[in-house]
Amino acid sequence: MTDTEILNIFTRILRDLLGDEGIVLTEATERPDVPGWDSFAYVNFIVAAEGQLGVRFRVADVESFQTVGDIVAAVQKQSGNPA
Amino acid sequence: MLFNSYEFLLGFLPLSLGIFYITGTYSRERAIQWLIAISLVFYAWWRPVNVLLISPSILVNYGLARTMLNLGERRPRISNTLLWVGIAFNLTFLGYFKYLNFFEATLNDVLGANMVLTELILPLGISFITFQKIAFLVDVHAGRIRSFGLQDYCLFVLFFPQLIAGPIVHYREMMPQFQMATCQFNGRDFAVGITLFFMGLFKKVVLADAVAPYVTNVFASASGGQSTSFLFAWLGAIGFTLQIYFDFSGYTDMALGLARFFGIKLPVNFNSPLKATNIIDFWLRWHVSLTRFLTAYLYNPLVLALTRRRAAAGKPAFSGRNTTLGAYVTLLALPTVLTMFVSGLWHGAGYQFLLWGLLHGLYLSVNHAWRVLRPRFWQGPSYQRLMMPVGFALTFTAVVAAMVMFRASTVTAGLRIWRGMLGMDGIALPGAVLHRLGGFGDRLMTHGVIASGASGSEFVALAGWTLLLLAIAWLAPNTLQMLSMYEPALGVKPLPDRWVAWRPSSGWAIGMAFVAVCGILSLGRVSAFLYWQF
Repeated sequence: MTDTEILNIFTRILRDLLGDEGIVLTEATERPDVPGWDSFAYVNFIVAAEGQLGVRFRVADVESFQTVGDIVAAVQKQSGNPA
Repeated sequence: MLFNSYEFLLGFLPLSLGIFYITGTYSRERAIQWLIAISLVFYAWWRPVNVLLISPSILVNYGLARTMLNLGERRPRISNTLLWVGIAFNLTFLGYFKYLNFFEATLNDVLGANMVLTELILPLGISFITFQKIAFLVDVHAGRIRSFGLQDYCLFVLFFPQLIAGPIVHYREMMPQFQMATCQFNGRDFAVGITLFFMGLFKKVVLADAVAPYVTNVFASASGGQSTSFLFAWLGAIGFTLQIYFDFSGYTDMALGLARFFGIKLPVNFNSPLKATNIIDFWLRWHVSLTRFLTAYLYNPLVLALTRRRAAAGKPAFSGRNTTLGAYVTLLALPTVLTMFVSGLWHGAGYQFLLWGLLHGLYLSVNHAWRVLRPRFWQGPSYQRLMMPVGFALTFTAVVAAMVMFRASTVTAGLRIWRGMLGMDGIALPGAVLHRLGGFGDRLMTHGVIASGASGSEFVALAGWTLLLLAIAWLAPNTLQMLSMYEPALGVKPLPDRWVAWRPSSGWAIGMAFVAVCGILSLGRVSAFLYWQF
């Protein structure tokens, strides 16, 4: 899967979670950039992403992701496609 | 030793800073060792035995962390065990000093047992230090910390500006700074530091301590079994909210400023929480470093585990506005209430703190439920326009109501204030005040306002200070905004230029000198920071 495909999936998940069709995620997006993307929505986002992409993040990783790009990279690493 | 005492301000601080800067010119290493030494002196000042209590705990934590580091990822099971041993050790250490007494008293209450209560003196700042040590162990276990020595660890745990009441810091945000620090005098850091420090001192000794005695009277009379009338109850509750607001905000500014003297930036801890328009927002502004800790090390792992379990069982997870009630209760309300319960317990060993925590857990759960439900029936621009002011008022009221329990000596005393706030004990004004109001006072009396024997001047002072402090908290920019050009706390970004933007100019120097003098002259009535008891 390409980074862009993962980004599109992420965007879809977050739009559904926050009920905001205006959200567009990029590699550089950080949580404070998206209104309403608080810690709770974040955990739910992570679990939804795990479910849809068939990956599993470590608790410690979940806390250390700074940008959406970091999460994309972690997905790629687990799927064996280090970017 | 308190930040707001003469011995700290005129003795400890200049001496330790002077020697730090001088030592730093020829040896960074020695300057850092000096910083650790003075931090120990600072900690030992009240009760030297404190150092004996905390030292073994530092060594045990260090030993466990080193072992985990050496094991790396080779022996995950042993590493896991060590982590849990470490967490259990720290919680037991905290539990013994902070909760043994409460536990025994609770057993006495519940079982009618007759245990003799063990009165222990709490080692200063133990709640903060414990959390910081746990975070460190988790970070080492997760491989986020790759190398450290005993000296680094001691510096991390003991760094005196944030030792006793936070901000709760992470090793990975502090250590790179210590490694980069020149350990020499830097004019800009010093100017930013001294501004933060004296603004904090002013908030604490001029603002918070001014309203404190009037607030104390309201709560003392409730503790003494007297009923509290409507206005006194509200003024007491709001007055205390503002007292602890300026107390903690002042403390935090002073901590930020002190760290800056050493070239270190601490994380944001307090960011105008009373301007919050919902309770989730409030907790992103009040005691930010605690929220961050609880979110990362308790709430997130809990929600992750619960969500995964539900997903494995084939039950629906949380999915925005289509969330089911079951998912909401197990994945949102439960972990939120539990986290805030722990927060309450962490703040103090007493039923009133537990109630305070549970209330905030409830508030947050309601706020989250609203976020799920609201888009189903109310969308569009009218929402923002109407809900902003309503949310603001609701958040403020909820915070103030919960703060009553935070301050009350017992739950019963807190309930008495709540009764008063609900108007169940009547509306009264001091006779002297009613009399001064003339015709208006008479009209109030015909509408059921009772003349009481309470002191008129005390009522006016409480009301006046409360209104003044409220105006400052709501209308004034905060220190992080004023100093935003100089990164007053880690990660603060510059704001567009405003008239209140601080700069190293003679105008600001004169203004700050005035603020400093007001602070220093008010030091006569030294009082401890509220958060130092935790």
